[in-house]
Amino acid sequence: MTTLSDNIFKTHKLTISYGSKPAVADVSFSVPRHRITAIIGPSGCGKSTLLRAFNRMNDFIPDVKMEGRILYLDQDIYGPNVDPVEIRKCIGMVFQKPNPFPKSIFKNVAWGPSINGYRGNIQELVEKSLQRAALWDEVSGRLEDSALALSGGQQQRLCIARALAMEPEVILMDEPCSALDPVSTARIEDLMGELKKRYTIVIVTHNMQQAARVSDLTGFFYQGELIEFGPTKQIFTKPQNKQTEDYITGRFG
Amino acid sequence: MSSSNLKWRHVKAKGFRLLCTMVTWMGVVLLAVLLYHVTRQGLPWVDGQFLTSFPSRFPAKAGIKSALWGTVWLISLTAVISIPIGVAAAIYLEEYASKGKLSRFIEVNIANLAGVPSIVYGILGLVIFVRFMSLGRSVLAGSLTMSLLILPVIIITSREAIRAVPSSIRQAAYALGTTRWQVVRDQVLSSALPGMLTGVILALSRAIGETAPLIMIGALTYVAFTPEGPLDAFTALPIQIFNWASRPQAKFHQLAAGGIIVLLVVLLSMNALAILIRHRSERKNR
Repeated sequence: MTTLSDNIFKTHKLTISYGSKPAVADVSFSVPRHRITAIIGPSGCGKSTLLRAFNRMNDFIPDVKMEGRILYLDQDIYGPNVDPVEIRKCIGMVFQKPNPFPKSIFKNVAWGPSINGYRGNIQELVEKSLQRAALWDEVSGRLEDSALALSGGQQQRLCIARALAMEPEVILMDEPCSALDPVSTARIEDLMGELKKRYTIVIVTHNMQQAARVSDLTGFFYQGELIEFGPTKQIFTKPQNKQTEDYITGRFG
Repeated sequence: MSSSNLKWRHVKAKGFRLLCTMVTWMGVVLLAVLLYHVTRQGLPWVDGQFLTSFPSRFPAKAGIKSALWGTVWLISLTAVISIPIGVAAAIYLEEYASKGKLSRFIEVNIANLAGVPSIVYGILGLVIFVRFMSLGRSVLAGSLTMSLLILPVIIITSREAIRAVPSSIRQAAYALGTTRWQVVRDQVLSSALPGMLTGVILALSRAIGETAPLIMIGALTYVAFTPEGPLDAFTALPIQIFNWASRPQAKFHQLAAGGIIVLLVVLLSMNALAILIRHRSERKNR
C-alpha cells in the first residue's frame, strides 16, 4: 500500500539557481520513508545544493533563487507560513567535515534539545542518542571531555548523535565520510543501516561504491539535472540511461 | 655555484634572525630601564599614606586618593557604557547586517575613527556631553567621551573575534532548529569571548592612560574629594601625574613616579583579570 505520506519528501519541478546560473534544474522525485536515498554525481552537479534545500540551509546563502516545490509530509516547506527553524527541528543534518561544537561531548548532544525546551531526562536522551550513533561505548566515561579531543570518525558519529538527539524524522547527510578513513567510513555505513529503521536518510556522496553499499534508492545527477532515479540495484546493474551507465562504469566523472 | 648561493642564503637567514632578536631585546631593555627609573624614584613614596591622601602642596603630605578613585570611577563607567554598545554593534555588523555597500561604508568609517587623535574626541565630548547635555565636568561626561574614543577599537576587535568563529559551527547550530539569537548567544559568543575580551582590555587600557581628552573636557587637576556619583567632578591618574611632573620641585617628580607605579599596577591587574577570565572560558570550551 502506498499512500502519499509514505513519501517523506516530494520535489516538484525544483530549480535552484545562484544568480542566473541554475545549480539544480527542473528536478522531480520522491524520498520514501525509512529508506536510504543516495544522490550521486560528479562534483559541482548540484547535489549538495539540492540536499541543503530540504532543510532550508540555502536560506543562509545570498542570491539563491528557488522555483518549484518541495513537499515534506505533503506540506510545502517553502510555504508562506513555514518557519525554517521548525523545519530544521524535524530534519537533521550531518555535514561533510565533522563540526562538533568546541564544548564537551555531553553539551554537544544536549544543546539542541535543551534549547528547544526538551522536557524529559536530558541525561537519558544524551545516552540514548550516543548509543544510537554507536559512540556510547567509546565515550561513556568521559562525557565532560572536549569533543575536539575525539578522532575524526568519532567526531562525525558525535555529530550524528547530536542530530539524533533532536529526534528528527529525516537525517540529511552531505558526504559524511569524505573526510574519514576507511575504517571510520565502514562504521558510519554500518550505522546508517541501523538508523534507517527509525529515520529516513538522504545521503549525498561522490563515492559510488558507498551509494551502492548503503542505499535503497539512487538518483544520478549531472549538471544540475536528475538523469536517472530508481532502486539502487537497478541503477548499478541495469541503468536505463547511457550517461548513468558511463558514470557508474567510470567512463567519466 | 649553487652551494655558494646556498651558503649566502643561510647567512642572510641568520642575519635576519639576529636583527629580529636585537629589535625584540631593544624593546625589552628600554622598558626595563624605564621601569627601573620609575621604581627607583617613586617606590619609596608609594605607601598607605600615599594611597589614602588627597593631593597637597607639601610633597610629604600629598597622595593620590582622589586620582585613583577618579580613575576607578572613570574606567568602570566607561566599561559599563562601551562594552555593551561595542559588542552589540559588532554582533549586529557581523551576524545580522546584510553585507552590502552600507555595511562596507560603516566598516571603513569605524576603522578611520579608531585612528582619530584622542584630543578630537575631547573636543567632541566638550561640545556634546559637557555643554549640550549639560553634564558638566563630571565623571559621566568623561566616561562618555572615553567610550567614544574606545568604541571603534572594541567594535573592530570584537568583529574580528566573531568572524574567526568557523561558519561550520554556525551551520551545525542552525541545522538543529535554533534561532539566530540562540546560535549567537550559545555558540558564536562563547567561542569569540576570549578574542573579544582581549580587545576590550586593550581598549580600556588605552582609556586608562589617556590624558588629552580629559583635560579638554575639563577634568580638574586639584581635587580634594572622591567622586560619590557619576555627576561629580573628578580627576584621574594620568592628569595627577602630569600635574606633578610639570612642577619645578624634584620631590613632585618623585611623586609623579609613584603615581606611574600605581597606574601600572591598576593596568596590570586589569590585564591579569582578563587573562584569568579568558583562561576559564577557554577551559570551559575545551
